[in-house]
Amino acid sequence: MQHTVKQMSGRERVLAALRNEPTDRTPVCNPTSVATVELMDLVDAPFPQANREPELMARLAATGYTELGFDTIMPVFTIIQESSALGCKIQWEQKDNWPTVKMREPIWEDVDDINIPKDFLTHPDTQCVLEAIKILKKEYGDEVAVIGKTMGPWSLGYHCFGVEPFLLLSLDDPGKTKLALDRMKEATVQFGIAQIEAGADALTLPDHATGDLVSGEYYKRYLRDLHIEFVERIPIPLILHICGRTVDRMEYIAQTGMAAFHYDSKNEPKESMDIVQKRIALIGNINNPETLFAKEPEDVKIEVVKNLEAGVPLIGPECAIPLQTTIENLQEIPIAVQEWHRKNG
Amino acid sequence: MASVVNIGRRIELVPIDPHFKDITIALYQQELESRAVYRVHTYSSFEGAENRIQEVSYAMRILGGMQQNNDGLLCFPCGDKHEAACRRVFLEACKIAPDTSIQPRPLKTLDKKSKQTITVDSVENGIYSVRSNGEGRSAERRVAAIAAGLAKLGEMNNSKDNDPNSVVFPCGQSHDELVGLLLVRAPNVRVILREEESVAARGVLTAPSQQS
Repeated sequence: MQHTVKQMSGRERVLAALRNEPTDRTPVCNPTSVATVELMDLVDAPFPQANREPELMARLAATGYTELGFDTIMPVFTIIQESSALGCKIQWEQKDNWPTVKMREPIWEDVDDINIPKDFLTHPDTQCVLEAIKILKKEYGDEVAVIGKTMGPWSLGYHCFGVEPFLLLSLDDPGKTKLALDRMKEATVQFGIAQIEAGADALTLPDHATGDLVSGEYYKRYLRDLHIEFVERIPIPLILHICGRTVDRMEYIAQTGMAAFHYDSKNEPKESMDIVQKRIALIGNINNPETLFAKEPEDVKIEVVKNLEAGVPLIGPECAIPLQTTIENLQEIPIAVQEWHRKNG
Repeated sequence: MASVVNIGRRIELVPIDPHFKDITIALYQQELESRAVYRVHTYSSFEGAENRIQEVSYAMRILGGMQQNNDGLLCFPCGDKHEAACRRVFLEACKIAPDTSIQPRPLKTLDKKSKQTITVDSVENGIYSVRSNGEGRSAERRVAAIAAGLAKLGEMNNSKDNDPNSVVFPCGQSHDELVGLLLVRAPNVRVILREEESVAARGVLTAPSQQS
């Protein structure tokens, strides 16, 4: 089917795939970061500044397209921008490491503590994202899809309450947990809509109900309906991101109406496609710590082909790539996709 | 603006150079006329970055007994890869501050664990024999352990007579500077492996549930 479609720009290709429409070839998509320390040097935009200054954030993000050949640009490298704006203490780290929330110093203890500050969208760490998206949209908006990111309430719960207290709350008091999620979801919606207004073409929505700590039933109980609500309230293709083994919740995820699910290499492409069918597009799932970080381009190619042969409609790394990943391994993803299409149409 | 260049396979990385503006320095491996050659590279365009690369390359020549051609590519005189050993040479070279006098490391070191002096003798056909100034079973065990450490770090083999205290590079040639450099670390390979694991884990984003 794909060879009958006229040649598309990266942006057209990605958006078509997110709408489950035909594409000229499978798009290469990074819903999460592809920044590396070498790319930081190349454009003089190192962490942590590239997470806090919009020009640097945009410049580093653009390398995903200009140097790696992806069909998307995703400037929101971290998962802490809105948590910082909510008041969490941040360990910003150095060039070679990710900033993290100091979750041992939670800002909220009870549902009634939840408060989205009035300056949430004008805080420097959310503003940085909005300004970077505007820069990228202006410079590359016709060529590639600019993808933003807004964190889901489960992830915000971990950051603002601490992982253990939030999980214990979910065990002890489901009612309070739902109320907490309901209040925190407003941050997700506000930041998402602000990014649409800044020019984002799609949004990644990480909500870390990860396979290691949260079951599929938990996902259904606490998050499925919330995610359906996000689809209704944030009018743009949404890409849900959850790490880990998630086949036990893919059925529920497929029911949300999200445009895509960014899935982990702990799930086999074929088994995942069998579950979601055409109800939601899958994006992934090239392994980060073993393949992209530690192996060779030939190994990357094998995983790309495995996804293509399973019919996965958008190809990319499974999550934010390690900062020391080699450039040649990342470049191999679009190379392998194009090579596969030359052979298979 | 600069662009990514195809300069071979990256085999080692120092993400933050403590001696020059936190730039990232990488070691790339290429093949040139059937010989393995190495390039030290940075994508930084800071003024002085190229000079820093030359400093690291020079340190590798001295510490690893490597040669450098007019294009700045490094290789071992034997033409073999010696990849693991070369990675160690690169990492050690990056640790040396500019303007430091660099000398090849001696084939002798103090083993802190046994408090003995360990000496490596370069014997014929590229074989290196490890010995200590101590006596008894404890000293024998340390000598064998250090020889095994050299083998691990340098991808060396036991000599043909299976003497546990003797090692040889696959090329069968002498590399005194390389052995001297590896000898410093050979008494405690586990520390090296732990360091490598720690470096590899840095920069890997984990889900919030796995963060502390």
